[in-house]
Amino acid sequence: MSAAIKRKGRLSARLEEFKAKSGADKRRAIVDLLFNNAMYIIIVIAIIYIAIQVPAFLSTSSIVNIISLTAAKLPIALGIGGAIVLTGTDISAGRCVGLTACISAALLQMTNYANKIFPELEVMPLWIVLLIVIAVGAAVGLVNGFFVAKFKLHPFIVTLSTQLIVYGLILMFLMIGSNNGQTLSGLDESYTNFVKGTLFRIDGVAVPKYVLYAIILTALMWLVWNKTKFGKNMFAVGSNEEAANVSGVNVFWTIVIVFVIAGAMYGITGFIEGARIASCSANTGLNYESDAIAACVIGGVSFVGGTGKISGIVIGVFLLQIIFVGLNFLSVDQNLLYVIKGMIILVACAIDMRKYLARK
Amino acid sequence: MKKLLATILAIAFVFGLTACGGNSDGEISVFYYNFGDTYISSVRSAMDKIFEDAGLNYNNYDGNGNQTTQTEQVTTALAKGSRLLIVNVVDTGSNDAAQNIVNLAKEKDVPVIFFNRSVDESVVSSYDKCVFVGTDYEMAGHMQGEMIGKYLVENYDKVDLNGDGKISYVMFKGQEGNAEAIARTQYGVEDANKVLTEAGKPELVFYDAQNSNKYLVDQSGNWSSSAATDYMNTILSQYSEANKNMVELVIANNDDMALGAISALQGAGYNNGTGKTIPVFGVDVTDAAQTMIKEGKMVGSIKQDANGMASAITTICQNFLDGKETFDGIEEDNIVGTWRVNIPYSVYTGE
Repeated sequence: MSAAIKRKGRLSARLEEFKAKSGADKRRAIVDLLFNNAMYIIIVIAIIYIAIQVPAFLSTSSIVNIISLTAAKLPIALGIGGAIVLTGTDISAGRCVGLTACISAALLQMTNYANKIFPELEVMPLWIVLLIVIAVGAAVGLVNGFFVAKFKLHPFIVTLSTQLIVYGLILMFLMIGSNNGQTLSGLDESYTNFVKGTLFRIDGVAVPKYVLYAIILTALMWLVWNKTKFGKNMFAVGSNEEAANVSGVNVFWTIVIVFVIAGAMYGITGFIEGARIASCSANTGLNYESDAIAACVIGGVSFVGGTGKISGIVIGVFLLQIIFVGLNFLSVDQNLLYVIKGMIILVACAIDMRKYLARK
Repeated sequence: MKKLLATILAIAFVFGLTACGGNSDGEISVFYYNFGDTYISSVRSAMDKIFEDAGLNYNNYDGNGNQTTQTEQVTTALAKGSRLLIVNVVDTGSNDAAQNIVNLAKEKDVPVIFFNRSVDESVVSSYDKCVFVGTDYEMAGHMQGEMIGKYLVENYDKVDLNGDGKISYVMFKGQEGNAEAIARTQYGVEDANKVLTEAGKPELVFYDAQNSNKYLVDQSGNWSSSAATDYMNTILSQYSEANKNMVELVIANNDDMALGAISALQGAGYNNGTGKTIPVFGVDVTDAAQTMIKEGKMVGSIKQDANGMASAITTICQNFLDGKETFDGIEEDNIVGTWRVNIPYSVYTGE
């Protein structure tokens, strides 16, 4: 009750503050408000427009589909977000997802599947495989983080190198035994059920389990970013490394851990992706990082460093999926997808910098 | 000091690598357009085996989907003293890339065997020591279309889920601007329609009447299963049996995309081997697709014979090296003029 009154009080105070302003100031305040929430406004306009054109866009099954697609692309973006907060980036992410997806698929093929890559291998317990791929992802992250932190190399260069190394490893991995670079498929039911199985049904539409995993990961990352000392250190290092160092933050380990967490996220993404698409080849994961990075910057995780919110990343991923699904529903020429995506990234970054410059 | 160390390391590394090659004869250089391609990988491993068994010194190069990279690899290999080039050219959009490679090889009098990705007759004929081993790439689309048509005529009422007398389909295209993808996308439907019309059935209908392209393409151009999964999930969120507009047929340019679509269908309760199955067709007959077809989760695919291609290439390669007639030992039916060998496709439906 008292909270409601307080909120009302704050709102009316703001309103009065607004009324007290002169004409020019009023206009500026409104423009600022519009700009600062531009992404939300774009999403709402897009949804309304698409829904008017194709009402089925807001049907239960369509909404579930958009949420599932968002969930599938979320973990990798959550990982990359940390690297961007540190003014860096991580372009090894996609290949890392590819490698971990191939490993997951290889270890979890059906025992009686004719083209098993490891014919002698029984189906392994899921949690062991999950731990293995998280470890593999984290190991790549460790390499990334170590070289960035120790040698002060730009993350672009470091992750470019690991991207290539990991791709090489994928190609070698797929050549093991008699596999000859073939697509890995024939996954054990325990695995596909764990990822794609039905969590619950809304209106008879099945919501896949990986939606739940994405929610858990988002909550986990929110806690890490907002409620831990490490999270605070990460933002401190991102906004000013030297200042953070002087004030006693261990810059080296902060950077390393950011990349290790990112790597672990790619491992989990790979584990989910392997079962979701059910056939893993050397192409799996290719360029996934570009969408993830785009989602982060759309969501306000700035390359300036030190700013960004988990909610922003979720919004960014969500917006990209709205565009993908929306253009499909509208039967728009798909080449336009590139144009629209590019424009949105540009606008989002421009708005972002506008905020940053204003603060300065 | 650092520079010195780096130089020494680099030199040691290069020597280490060449030491593995260890054959005084010039190498046979094999250029693949992309190591990541599933079908090309099976050609590669078949060819590797033949070369190894014959004790020939060969070296594989990965163009990684980039013509510049590949052309640089070719010049390097020629400078190194390669005695034969086997090229899976990256750029099929124009003749320039292939012609350039031919010219480079001609200068050094080194034979060139192009394979798999199509090269124009004019390019191949411009050099007497040049041949092309490929497939009549349009055939895959024709055969896929015919297979689909036949299947539909036999199972029409079963496939026509909403009983409106028409079959609605979706087509997954692997890549824009690729001759094979274009042909498969076109003939996969056209030839199926031909068979249907002959049997007195109506033509196929694209599931989304407003889509004038009549296909969905992998935006990244990778013929990837993930693109097909995402599309299929999105389709299934709007089209279903309950809405009486379910997509009744899935045609994909390759097996990876077919498998991706099946993954999405399985999420919606179809194609699990028992119960309802939406017929899915692909091309390549990868090991994974073969299993799917055997388990009844997919209907059919068109086989590109990787082993046949590898053995034709290596036979011609050996002929060049031994100074024999170019097409010695190649099945006569498959030879086209003096410039090309076609490896036939075959239909695979698990029988």
